[in-house]
Amino acid sequence: MDYIKANTAPRREDRLGTCIEFGGTVGGIAEPFCQGCLKNRRRSFSQGTICQLLPAVAILTSLQDTVVIVHGAIGCGGAAHALGANVRLGQWRGGDKNPRGALWLSTNLNERDVTSGGEEKLRQAIVEADKRYRPEAIVFLSTCVPGIIGDDIDGVARDLKDKVSAALLPVHCEGFKSKVMATAYDAIFHSFLRNLIDGSDETEFPVFDPEAAQASEAIRRKRLVNLLNVSSMTGPDQKELIRLLGKLGLEVNMLPCDAHPEAFRLAPLASLSVGVCPTHDDYFMSYLEKRYAVPYVGSHMPIGIENTGNWLRGVAAKVGQEAAAERIIAQEEAELGRALEPLRPKLKGKTCVLSAGEIRTLSTARLVQELGLEVLAVRPYHYDPFGQPEVERLSDVNPGIRLNVATAQPFEAVNILNRVEPDLYIGHNSDNVWAAKCGTAVLPIYGSNAIYSGYAGVFDVARRIHRHLENNSFNERLVKNVRQPYRESWYAEDPYKYIIGAELTA
Amino acid sequence: MTNRFIERPRGFCALGGAVLTASALPGVVPIMHAAMGCGGSIYWNQYGSTGYLGAGYCGGLSVPSSNIQESDIVFGGLDRLDEQVRSTLEIVEADLYVILTGCTPDIIGDDIESVVRKYSSGGQSVIGAETGGFRGDGYAGYDILLSALANSYVKPAKAKTPNKINLFGVVPGQDAFWRGNLLKLRSLLERLGLEVNSFFTERDSLTGLLGSGEACLNVLVSDFFGLRTAEAYERRHGIPYLTNPLPIGPSATEDFLRRVGEALAIPRRTLENLISDERRGYFRYVERIADAYNDLDWQRYAIIVGDANYAPALTKFVADDLGWLPRLTVVTTSLEGKDEEKIDRVLGNLSCGCKVKVVYETDPSEVAGHFWRIAPRRSDSLHQLSFAPAFVIGSHLERPLATDLGAEHLTVTCPVGNRVVLNRGYAGFEGSLSLIEDLLSVIAFQR
Repeated sequence: MDYIKANTAPRREDRLGTCIEFGGTVGGIAEPFCQGCLKNRRRSFSQGTICQLLPAVAILTSLQDTVVIVHGAIGCGGAAHALGANVRLGQWRGGDKNPRGALWLSTNLNERDVTSGGEEKLRQAIVEADKRYRPEAIVFLSTCVPGIIGDDIDGVARDLKDKVSAALLPVHCEGFKSKVMATAYDAIFHSFLRNLIDGSDETEFPVFDPEAAQASEAIRRKRLVNLLNVSSMTGPDQKELIRLLGKLGLEVNMLPCDAHPEAFRLAPLASLSVGVCPTHDDYFMSYLEKRYAVPYVGSHMPIGIENTGNWLRGVAAKVGQEAAAERIIAQEEAELGRALEPLRPKLKGKTCVLSAGEIRTLSTARLVQELGLEVLAVRPYHYDPFGQPEVERLSDVNPGIRLNVATAQPFEAVNILNRVEPDLYIGHNSDNVWAAKCGTAVLPIYGSNAIYSGYAGVFDVARRIHRHLENNSFNERLVKNVRQPYRESWYAEDPYKYIIGAELTA
Repeated sequence: MTNRFIERPRGFCALGGAVLTASALPGVVPIMHAAMGCGGSIYWNQYGSTGYLGAGYCGGLSVPSSNIQESDIVFGGLDRLDEQVRSTLEIVEADLYVILTGCTPDIIGDDIESVVRKYSSGGQSVIGAETGGFRGDGYAGYDILLSALANSYVKPAKAKTPNKINLFGVVPGQDAFWRGNLLKLRSLLERLGLEVNSFFTERDSLTGLLGSGEACLNVLVSDFFGLRTAEAYERRHGIPYLTNPLPIGPSATEDFLRRVGEALAIPRRTLENLISDERRGYFRYVERIADAYNDLDWQRYAIIVGDANYAPALTKFVADDLGWLPRLTVVTTSLEGKDEEKIDRVLGNLSCGCKVKVVYETDPSEVAGHFWRIAPRRSDSLHQLSFAPAFVIGSHLERPLATDLGAEHLTVTCPVGNRVVLNRGYAGFEGSLSLIEDLLSVIAFQR
């Protein structure tokens, strides 16, 4: 809880010992990680990748009635052009028939601002955004340039607090500060907890009829749970999770993605927080528990059969619905089993490599094992204590599965793919093309308005894998006609040649 | 020039523009000396704004990058850069490596030239350019990189080759149709008997760039983009340059060809023969769309939103060649006053005689306001002058505006997120036929 007193959230490297450089097997990471041997590593060859700004832009531009100001040079928020497509989709789902997409500004810092400071430009942008768009909240993100020149974005927020009508939320996500992009989740929740949740009070959700309404509101809040979604979740994913929670009789307050700022203010009044990704939400949920006595559950990502079941059981145990959960799980699993039967023989024994965010990669690996595929390698973007139970479960099936912790770094991926030659690659946006150029069939690991979560997700992933394996001629022809940028000699080298382990200083 | 915030900037920072430009050159691999997220920000931006232009040979998240951290910023990032260049040369294959800096090393003042010297004196082709994002937009990045190449990579030529020209002014990525536009203009100029360096197409190679000092003229199909490059060539290689608005459609392209012809003293007959031949080809197609154009009343009022290349070029084409009525042209590039006058001059002299309101505005959500200031006023009559039927040509950010106005819409200008672009181009005579296809298909699609 003490973290919240500081202006910025701690780096994940410091809070959790998170690392992004490892090459070995799922059976071989626990020991060096626990002994701290993976700290202080780095790569002597690296490729441009994702910093904490990108997930921050992805999550924050999806908020309703909110303007995002990227305080930095003109390129820093550019990812929103791609992410805006999802935002548009979310607005469309919410009933807007002419959706505008993500609304964001760049403070457009130039050479003069680098010398004389950017605070004035940020102040102007906030005041003008408040006037022009009348949003409920204005979130402003500090990037590398203000981080180096020393702009005080918290000071700007304090100065303008009473001069604008929107809630002001400064978020620190300077790319050079942390090498773990997941630090973004903490950075966002940190600001929302400090500036939106703490200090808001129950009277913002007034109950007008003293007796009947209060009674029904009390009942509603008892059934109300915070569902912590992630930006890689699609509309159909969210619908599936709401469906499953609904079967336990629960009502959902979903946040942070696609949420209205009100959802954050309501969060401390809910009876439970439910996470869907252990490495995403612990910062937020643990604070709500300590400060507002809202318990939480969320040690499983509801992707895969076993994971979805365990996720539901976890929720049910907190709300005294264990028996109901078992009934639901048995029923869902039976139904899913019948649907999967004709697909199973076609998937059996196919080999697979996966790459994306930590928990996403490891849970999806379990899912494909459940479908009868063989997992040859997993490439989580980072590794921290939350990944450990997931890795152990993969290790129970085969401790020799290759494990490469890397935030993208396609040069390592291509080297590994060249060795293990899988039938299928399941990867993150922007990773996939390098596997495609190896001729591998590809299923994106999230997005495309498809479903991956819950029981419906298991079936759909199976169906789509089968589709990609049925005709891979696009990628098979690609590999024959284009080439990777690496010298031939690279394929004979150890894929982890450029990871420099500074074990002695650990 | 805008010195305030910009809403949803349409394109890249200087580093992004330079990375896309370097990646578009055959055999060139960029090495970023930048924070770890620059690669991702550029690539996701590229994903959403360039007609799904992918990473290519070594772009996207494959671009080698020093990914400097806080300690490098405190102690200087050159050791890390040195290490990154060495390891890149070890495993990545390229004919030329270009070190491009992001904001962080530019602010702390890393002297990348020392690293460039070390490796180029070792016989490697390595050059560098300072492209920190705060130095400007993607157009500036294109210009900083190309002028660096003109200064440090292009071979000084003993003699100029008559009829050899370099073509600049189309910025990869900022123009989603860059390849098609360059190819169309290149083929056209070749028909004048010229040897053309277009640098970025499948018909170009790095040798062309290396030998570009032999050209006798640099042709910029832009009054704004590539000027620094043209000046570098002029200073360093003694090559004069000519700037001309991006030519789309027969009217603009005829003017363009005559100006190039005049600058190179191409015989008048050769020039006029080509023009009449191209015009004949154009009208062979236009003749056969004339039925529908006239039967179905495919004339439109138009709003045009685009950068300083596209906004005047599209406006002139739809007015002078397509017979439409552009009423509002929004130039989204942030320009100096004297540059605004250049555009005002082009659009103040449309040969069809139409008058169009030209505004300079970066912010997508402000476009509607500019329109309502010139929109036909409601009167108390039963019979209203209305802005219909109407068409909005702009980026995908203008789609909600078109929907609000009940207008048709085509995305042409950056960001292009709702179209896929491969070899399509709108420049020249032939390109404008594709533009007619695309515009009128939007209308025909509703039938």
